[in-house]
Order: sequence, then structure tokens, then C-alpha cells
Amino acid sequence: MKAALIGAGQIARQHLACLQELPGVELSAVCDVSPAVAECAAERCGIPEWFTDHGAMLRAVRPDVVHVTTPPTLHFRQAMDALEAGAHVIVEKPAVSTLDELECLTGRARERGRALVEDYNYLFNRAPREILRRMECGEFGAVVHVDAFICLDILGPNGFADPNSRHPCLSLAGGAIADFLPHLASLAHLFVGPHRRADAVWTKRRPSVLPYDEFHAVVDAERGTASLGFSASSQPDGFWLRVYGERMQALANLFESRLTFDRLRPGPRPLRPFLNGLEEGRAVRRAAVGGLVRKFTGGPGAYEGLWELLARTYQALADGSTLPVSTPQVLAVNRLVAALQPDAPRP
Amino acid sequence: MTGANGFLGRHVVAALLARGHRVRALVRPVVPLHELEWPGSVEVFRADLRSTLGLELAFDGVDVLVHLAASHSGGEDFQFAAAVVGTERLLDAMARTSCRRLVLASSFAVYDWSAIRWTLDETSPLEPVPSLYDRDGYTIAKSWQERVTRRVAEQHGWDLTVLRPGYIWGRGHGYLSALGQQVGKIHLVIGPLCRMPLTHVENCADLFALAAEDPRARGETFNVVDGEGERVWSYLGAYLRGTGERGIRVPVPYRLAYALVRVAFATVFKRNTKLPHILIPCRFESRLKPLRYTNGRAREVLGWRPPLDFGERLLRTYGPPLRSEGATL
Repeated sequence: MKAALIGAGQIARQHLACLQELPGVELSAVCDVSPAVAECAAERCGIPEWFTDHGAMLRAVRPDVVHVTTPPTLHFRQAMDALEAGAHVIVEKPAVSTLDELECLTGRARERGRALVEDYNYLFNRAPREILRRMECGEFGAVVHVDAFICLDILGPNGFADPNSRHPCLSLAGGAIADFLPHLASLAHLFVGPHRRADAVWTKRRPSVLPYDEFHAVVDAERGTASLGFSASSQPDGFWLRVYGERMQALANLFESRLTFDRLRPGPRPLRPFLNGLEEGRAVRRAAVGGLVRKFTGGPGAYEGLWELLARTYQALADGSTLPVSTPQVLAVNRLVAALQPDAPRP
Repeated sequence: MTGANGFLGRHVVAALLARGHRVRALVRPVVPLHELEWPGSVEVFRADLRSTLGLELAFDGVDVLVHLAASHSGGEDFQFAAAVVGTERLLDAMARTSCRRLVLASSFAVYDWSAIRWTLDETSPLEPVPSLYDRDGYTIAKSWQERVTRRVAEQHGWDLTVLRPGYIWGRGHGYLSALGQQVGKIHLVIGPLCRMPLTHVENCADLFALAAEDPRARGETFNVVDGEGERVWSYLGAYLRGTGERGIRVPVPYRLAYALVRVAFATVFKRNTKLPHILIPCRFESRLKPLRYTNGRAREVLGWRPPLDFGERLLRTYGPPLRSEGATL
């Protein structure tokens, strides 16, 4: 399949690194508004053509799949143009700025018989997949509650909070944190289903150009409840996922490889905390060593889920099987994202 | 001048003023200026090269652009945006003005250190593709900045001078990555007798100011070093004495360290390029490889002599601040 990218910045590098390794994928072109960025990406990855106009690229290359990895406010127009050009679209999160735009895109994708996949890469990290596996085999029990919390210092001068050059994500309602909402919402949707109602608190703790640097929400969903959060002040950086099941609880740091379980087990009840503690200690040590080895031996690192998602997506597109991220899922996740935004009506 | 409030930029402003020129300093929107103590004759133009519209206004009445802006910090994409995308936008604006003269600050980083034997000079090969992309983000950004600038200058027929400084040192910037690896108080001095491509910031700034005004510099590329360079061992000793830091120097032969890095890179680390720089062979060489350096081209074409000798450089770096430093910087 011929793949092309619109936007050759930081996240595009992760897409390109994965696509270079995927069998049956031909990287045919890359586009960026900066000629040097586009040419550099093409030269680095051995891509035959580069463009500064995505329309010209779509006309010249006729790709089968287009990755949209530009700033979020540009996604709608570029994804729509790619669909019109007959390509499947894999779009970085947040896919769009409004639900109306998303419904417009998914409608057009359906009419054209093309796929529209939003990047929920953390769903495909090892930890959520392992929790799902235990759920499917009945070991975990039904999920009662999920807690997803990102601690990430985004207040440094070289990123979202750069006071000299406004970051494109600051155009989103919620500012930089809005860039992370699809991760949180997609995890909530994965474990407890579509939301019924949600309430959120947005606050600002430290001085910066960001409108908010803290976010906390509670979600009532069809199969359970969720609490979601983001903190720019809590350190160290981590993406904590805790899933509460009827027979087991799981705790994972999605920025690393740590995954531990606390479970009901046969035997004397007073020994349960002791045995669970031993098991947890072993898992933490194994994850610490594994994380260090992972850093020294390369590979996708915390982007392991993106590689898995892209591999599954291309496989599904090639053989017509079920996509790893479905359109109803994208719509449900974005409805929750919309409900969490600071200007959303509250229950 | 872009990058005017940076470590080198502040001294280039002072050197240009000392030669009687007027300076318009491009400074990012929220950078504080009070510490710079620039005289009123320095005109400040607030802009961020990555995003500010109307950059051509900065060229109004300008005879020569001295382009120093780049970033040593941040991730690879941030450095690329700061150096390369900023340069694209700046030169695009310059093309809409009457300014036709440009002095670019490049770097020793752009050379192909693995291929060079004995002496590094302006004729030495540059890092080729694809090995360029095994180097660090700063090298990629500076290589692309020079590539973009040369293309645009050629396209418009501009007079371009490229200056490639070695390690720039001076007050507050005495510790250099060429010194090896620090582990607590222990300094592993890799190749203790190797010479480093050093240029003191005031000497370097002097050559920038000279290149900006001297017509003989047009179309030229100059490496900027003060001479053959100090040895790593003695430079680190001067640094420790000058700063009063306590440290133990442990000599490590260059060839031994390089062999270990190469073996580990190919076996244990499986050619992963996300490692610390010193564990990646091409980056190890670019920081530590023992070569000879010369400023012969700048001497020959411009008759340049570094104004400060080594004793004065040490004094200006580690001695008490001179009154004139505060006044001009």
C-alpha cells in the first residue's frame, strides 16, 4: 500500500519510523509547509517525493493511506481532502476541533468507502492489552471503574508553554491539555464504554501562557465509571492507568512498562496482601529492568502502541478485516472529549 | 543580527559597536534585556523567527545580516525549527528587501569527523547523508541551516560568508563536551593530550564583526579557532582552578575508549541512536577525536589575529569581571 504523510514534525517521525518497518507498505511522499522539514524527512527515510502543498501531493501520488500529523486545527481540511482523493486516513489526535467536523468527516469516509482512524496509541500498549486479555478470559471480572491520570511537565519553555511562539494546540478549547484528552477519553471508553454524563474541573496552578495546567473529571459510562486527570505540576512524569475489576485490580504506567495486578487468590485471606506484594515487587523489578533495556536497545519506547495500532490498521486495510479503531469508537470518544471541554454544558 | 542576546551574540554586538557600526538586534518577544546593558544605539527588533509575520521590516536600512540564531537545547524537532525553519522564514523575508549581504554562524559540528584524518580545515568533508541522521539534533539542524542558507544565497546572488566556530568558551561557559565524561567529582578525560578546537567568545565575536565589514570575506567559509587549541588535560585543569570546583581528573586513552564504545554500540546497544551521545561512535568522534585545527584561512584572507592570547582568555573567563565587560555587553 502506498502511504503518504501530511505534516513532518515530531509525531510524524514516529509514524515514519514504524512505516519503514511495516511489510507491504511503501512510503511514497511526505508533505510539510516548510520545504526543509519536508525534504529532511524524505531524505532521512528514503521517501522518493516531498511536497509543501498537500493537494499537489494527493494529486501527484494518489496514496492509498494518508497520515495526517499536522497541528490539530489543520486536520479537518487535510483529512477531508485525503478522503476526497480516495485515500484511507489515519489522523493524529485530536482528530478535529469540533464534533460537527468529525461527523462530517466520518460521513464522507462512509460515502467514499474509506477508513478514518484516530490515533489512540495508548490503547495498544502492552499494559491495556494485557488487562483486556485477562478480562476476556474471565480472570479480571467486570470492570467497575477506571482511573487514567497523566502527570507531565508541559510548562517548560520549549514546548506548549513557549512564550515566544504560540503553540498551535493553544487554539483548542482547554489549550495544551486538550491535546491529551483523546488519550484519556479513549481509555475510559475502552474499559467502561460510551459515557452517559461527565463533569470536569479545569484549573491553573502555575503562571504560564497556558489557559489551564490541571484537569480533573468524573465520567459515568454505560459499563462503569471513570476518573480522568492531567497535572502539569505533579512529578515525576507518568501516565497512570488503574483499572478496578470485580476480581482483580491493575495498575500501569503507560509511559513505561510497569504493570502490576492485585487479585483475589485462593488460600488463607490474611496471606493475600503478602503474596500480592511479592508478586507486585517481582513485576516492578522486571519492568524496571525491561525499561532500562528498552532505552538502551532502541525501538518505539513509549510509542509501542502506535506501532501496534499502525500494524493492525494496515493489516485490516489489506485483508478487509475489522479495523483496530472503529468509526463508532471514534465518535464515542470524541463525544466524551467534547463533554469534558471547559466550555461544555455541565450536568 | 539574530541571536543577538545569546552567549556569542552579546559579544558580537559589542564587537560591531566597537568597530563603529550600528546594530539592530532581533530578540525574541519575551526575552528580558536589562541584563545585557546594551547602549541606546542598539536598536531592538522583537521577533520570533518561527512565527513572527512581517520579518522584512527588520531589514529596513540594513546592509548586512549577521545570522546567529539557533538552539542548543530542546528536542531534535525544536532545534530544527529554531535553526532551519527560522532561517527559511528569515531569508524569505530578506529576499523581499534590498539587503544582499549575509554572515552565517555555522559550526564545526557539520564536518564528517569520522572521515577526517590529521587536520580539520575548511576543505574537510561535511557529514554526508545518511550518516548525518545518526548525529545529534544540533548537528542535523546546523547542517540543514547551512544547506538552506547556501541554496537561497546562490539563488538570489547574495554575498554569503559562513563562519564555523569550534567550541566557544568564556565566562560562565567553561565546561565543554569535549572534556570527556563527568561522573560526580570524577572527570574521565578521554584523550588527555588531544587538542580541542577552541575559540574564546571574544575572539570569535571579533572575527564575526570583521567578516561582516570586510569585503574580502564575501563568498568565503572560515573555521573559527584561536589556534591549534589547548590540550584537554590542561584546559580542564585551568577550568577546575578557575572555577574552584573540586574534581579528580582520570586520564583515559582515546583509542581504548573509542574501541569500547564501538564494540558496545554494535553488540549491547544494537546500534540504538537514542543513547547518550558519548555511547554512539560517530558522536563520540565529533566531540573527542584527536585532530589538528587551524585558523589559517581567516589569517590568510582577512589577516585576522585573535585579539586575546590564552592568558587573557583565562583572565576574562575566570578572573573578576572587567568594567568594560559590563559597559559593552
